[in-house]
Amino acid sequence: MGVSEVPKVFTPQTPIWCPGCGDFGVLAALKKALNDLKIPPHETILVGGIGCSGHIHNDLLVYGYHSLHGRLLPTAIGIKLANPRLTVIAAGGDGDGYAIGGNHFLHALRRNPSIVYLVMNNGTYGLTKGQPSPTAQIGFEGTKEIPFEPILTALSIRSTTFVARGFSGNQVQLQFLIKEAIQHANAGKGFAFLDVLSPCVTYNDTYAEWRKSTVDMNADKSFDPTNRALVFERVLNTLQEGKIPTGLLYKGESPSFESMQLKDPASPIATQDLTPAGKIEEFKKLIARYR
Amino acid sequence: MSSTQTTEVSEPRVVHLEDLKVMVGGQGGDGTLTVINLLSHALKQIGAYTYDTRNVLSRIRGGHADGVLRASVRPILSIGDGLDVLVAFDEEAVEVAKEQLLDHAVVIYDNSHSQLKTVLKPTVKVYSAKFGEIAGLELKKTLLKNTVSFAVLCRVLGLADQLAEEAINWRYARRGGDVLQSNLQALKIGFRLADQLGVKPSISFPKTEPKQGLIQITGDEAVGMGFIAGGGRFYAGYPITPASEILEYLQANLPKFNGVALQAEDEISAINMALGASLAGARAMVATSGPGQDLMTEGLGQAGMAEIPLVIVEVQRAGPSTGMPTKHEQSDVNHVVFAGHGDFPRLVVAPADASDCFYLTVDALNLAEKYQLPVFILMDQALGQNTQTVPEFDFSRVNIDRGKLLTQADLNRISVYKRYEFTEDGVSPRTILGTPDGFFQVTGNEHNEWGFVSVDRINRAKIMRKRMLKVEAAKKDMPRGRVYGDQDARVGFISYGSNLGPILEAMEQLGKQGFKTKFLLLRSIYPLLEEVQEFLESVNTAFVVESNLTGQLAGLIRREYGYADKIVRINKYDGSVFRPSDIVSQTLSQLPRNGGE
Ligand SMILES: Cc1ncc(C[n+]2csc(CCOP(=O)(O)OP(=O)(O)O)c2C)c(N)n1
Ligand code: SF4
Ligand SMILES: [Mg+2]
Repeated sequence: MGVSEVPKVFTPQTPIWCPGCGDFGVLAALKKALNDLKIPPHETILVGGIGCSGHIHNDLLVYGYHSLHGRLLPTAIGIKLANPRLTVIAAGGDGDGYAIGGNHFLHALRRNPSIVYLVMNNGTYGLTKGQPSPTAQIGFEGTKEIPFEPILTALSIRSTTFVARGFSGNQVQLQFLIKEAIQHANAGKGFAFLDVLSPCVTYNDTYAEWRKSTVDMNADKSFDPTNRALVFERVLNTLQEGKIPTGLLYKGESPSFESMQLKDPASPIATQDLTPAGKIEEFKKLIARYR
Repeated sequence: MSSTQTTEVSEPRVVHLEDLKVMVGGQGGDGTLTVINLLSHALKQIGAYTYDTRNVLSRIRGGHADGVLRASVRPILSIGDGLDVLVAFDEEAVEVAKEQLLDHAVVIYDNSHSQLKTVLKPTVKVYSAKFGEIAGLELKKTLLKNTVSFAVLCRVLGLADQLAEEAINWRYARRGGDVLQSNLQALKIGFRLADQLGVKPSISFPKTEPKQGLIQITGDEAVGMGFIAGGGRFYAGYPITPASEILEYLQANLPKFNGVALQAEDEISAINMALGASLAGARAMVATSGPGQDLMTEGLGQAGMAEIPLVIVEVQRAGPSTGMPTKHEQSDVNHVVFAGHGDFPRLVVAPADASDCFYLTVDALNLAEKYQLPVFILMDQALGQNTQTVPEFDFSRVNIDRGKLLTQADLNRISVYKRYEFTEDGVSPRTILGTPDGFFQVTGNEHNEWGFVSVDRINRAKIMRKRMLKVEAAKKDMPRGRVYGDQDARVGFISYGSNLGPILEAMEQLGKQGFKTKFLLLRSIYPLLEEVQEFLESVNTAFVVESNLTGQLAGLIRREYGYADKIVRINKYDGSVFRPSDIVSQTLSQLPRNGGE
């Protein structure tokens, strides 16, 4: 069954985004990536956050969950641990992930669960009508705060294994990055973090600006995405030049969370036979030390 | 001055007790709980039922720690009143215990630091010795004073030396040679000191065959075991007293059953992880106490709105805010019943002893999946952390009911699958992730039957009712309360949780004074069941007993059923559990002049 074929369940619905919203580009690239990779839809769960971006899960015939504001990562991690066979994609906004969900973001980076995390970064709170988000530039809506740089944060945590940034206005690169992210996670290599610049045309239209300022770091053949220290330095320098580094920025190795936590990742917790009948003897062993 | 001394008593006497209360007190780290643990094991071997608690009497100063062990020839669920023996590693412990010491009490005092200055009743016998100093000199380990004192304690109680030795073996065999050997040596030193002190058995407890089929376990551990037996495979928590033991128990044991117990970065994360695991198809649970429940409230509403099965254990402690983290209270009834914005369904069950903790955890897992909502297991510090003697759990009684869970085979038989389909009992069939034709949209936004966000007025009203209907439907499956005492009594008690033990003992004492009483032990707190009304109808006065200031359970009952004229509150909120005497005195002082008749 393909992603666009409709069986006896819900019919996917186009999110009610403003015409021209960057999130359409993210949705298109995601659909393309899932189709190209032939990921079985019923083994895929898309976890949305709360925000305009969080509605992305409505338009795909995969399992969809609309989590609480900022809590998509813990939810996605719970899903992955319960059933590591699933393709788990968490997708939300920058307010969702870097403000209210900031603590979960740090711990997800540290734990390295094999899920994809896609942030639709527009520098604003679209859904609540344009307040500055943690990635807003100084001066946007009068903000006097230094913006948060998620890529540097991700690079600074030693157990991260996949750090990338795309731009909704660059479909070819974005499709490539989403595919790489899904493959990374599905190979059990860990947390695939992909920040996507996705302009909010209504409150913070940054299309023109980002077309000019984004640089594809992978275009430079001397850029080695496996050398964390050098990547950090190059990303930092690029930012200081007033440019925004994009591309597959870092790829490394570290044990995945599920491989560390689960005794037998091959037999998912979620699909175990729970009937107590065959386990009574095992249960009785639990009692022994209380006699 | 010699290192040992005994107060002069005119005549040796032996007090025979069928109900023995021993307190061991000192500074945190003195190993007081180890002595309790050893004695509890030894007494179980001679047929006693035990109940022990930690810290219950601790007051003001930071470092003080104590444990109380009660042993009886019959099952008990309370620390009772009074103390027969005190082992004190410092003066403060004696001060703390002083008022509780009975006339025939024996005090074993470690005078390594100072001679005992506290003035005690002249009938109290005191054995003083430098347990710590001697352990330090002879074994190079002052801490072994606990085992030294245990030896003297066993002699006071007339327990055979061999029984004491067995207890040491039982506790330390696993820890390997050195630890075991030094404790056995400490025990010998203790016996030698007892000889030097001229200790004679002065309190005796009947010796019978050890009772078969009994275990000594805490409520927290019983919940953990119930979770595993009930098919629970995903647990997430964040350390918090008095619920941490559930996390620790499951981290140690859940992997054996191919499950996982995680320590999240906070309670917000823990509950959302559990929601994710539940969506995926695992039976999931979180456990916390008041402050953690504050953070979990957001996820609670999500479980209610999105209809995701989830069990939440709330082990109450003294609030508000950080409150008194290690102290007992039952002040989160309102919190579990009312927490969260908006109207959404939930259930609250309340176990009363460790057996109940086991079986009701299984029930809660079934209820959560059958009605697709959050189910609270409401506990309290004493129930969660005190060790009690209960019958071994019967695993063959465990039954797993996953409710309307559709498999692919079920889906093959139906033409349309809507996650939030309107049904008679409000429960819509659900699927788990990975089912080929079971696609769903699940959301905490208001939604239509398909799970798509909707603000349609007709749908809204209908789906609100659908969700709430489940609480009504669940009533038939909620655990029933238990009625104790005299059916004809016109004076009744209503309570829940660890108050069970103290109330039963208070009723016995009241009975001896000529007052007939009965008692409704609630095991379903929300919704309250018709049993409450029936009980209130049958009495003239109903004392609602609870450890809080404002009478939260009494308020809940009044809100549901009225009877303001019959309901009288008995409250305690100083951080300590009810003793039977508290209930007796509050009952007598508040009883209407006609004796409630
Ligand atoms: C706990 C909580 N606080 C506040 C809100 C209100 N709220 C909804 S979306 C949002 C911000 C959305 O911004 P972002 O995550 O960047 O998503 P975008 O709309 O820009 O895609 C806020 C603050 C909420 N839903 N929950
Ligand atoms: S408000 Fe901004 S982010 Fe939201 S849909 Fe419109 S353009 Fe997109
Ligand atoms: Mg945003």
